[in-house]
Amino acid sequence: MESAAGGKGLELVESQSDGVAIVEPRGRIDSMTAGLFGARVAELIRSGSHHLVIDFAEVLYITSAGFRSLLIAGRLIDEFKGKLVLCRMSTEIRRLFEIGGFSDLFEICATRDDGVRKASWP
Amino acid sequence: MVEITILNRRSELGRVVTLLERFGAEHHLAPQLVIDMQIALDEVLSNVTQYAHPDNAEHSIHVRLRMIDGVLEAQIEDDGVLFNPLLAPLPDLRARLRDRHVGGLGIEFVRKLMDDVTYERTGERNRLVLRLRSES
Repeated sequence: MESAAGGKGLELVESQSDGVAIVEPRGRIDSMTAGLFGARVAELIRSGSHHLVIDFAEVLYITSAGFRSLLIAGRLIDEFKGKLVLCRMSTEIRRLFEIGGFSDLFEICATRDDGVRKASWP
Repeated sequence: MVEITILNRRSELGRVVTLLERFGAEHHLAPQLVIDMQIALDEVLSNVTQYAHPDNAEHSIHVRLRMIDGVLEAQIEDDGVLFNPLLAPLPDLRARLRDRHVGGLGIEFVRKLMDDVTYERTGERNRLVLRLRSES
């Protein structure tokens, strides 16, 4: 995948905080990148990261392919009785969640700290 | 007007993203406008590359971009099976996580993000025109 700085594609930055895994996608989550994004998130969950924050601060936009990946991740986390929290959305990203009817399906926090706190709860 | 011909493969969509980005910069379009059109084009073109050609052969898709009277217009033309996205069924946006499907969601994004969408079947070709007003 090319870096977001290159104007194309998606980069995933991963970190950990208080036992919560944080994934920060940077760039576009579209039909070209959603597969890799979803596969990596699913891999993290299956390998034990059942408390997960996805930080949207550097996401330029997300298309239906990206929402499909998020739905799959959400269901997978539910199977493990874990918790998925999304955070730091721009107004544009927020608007896309509203349009797609996803705002009520996911827990969304304003800050990453809030996200980590919420995700670490059972 | 700028024009690009891509093949019916998902990996080709990046060329359209780049073209639209350059077009937006040249015409000093607001980032939000370019983003909305990029999303709509991703939805339309990923549909075409996935479903329009059951023969699995190589086909061309033509994309044209232009500004006309303060409106950003994208035309997508393909020789695939007849598909009018304006007649596609709406997704159930109220379903819960477990039951939620994303079929139809892409088309829903196109309808809601664009100011105007027209579809035309001419001979063996689909032609979809997406319009987005530049001034808010």
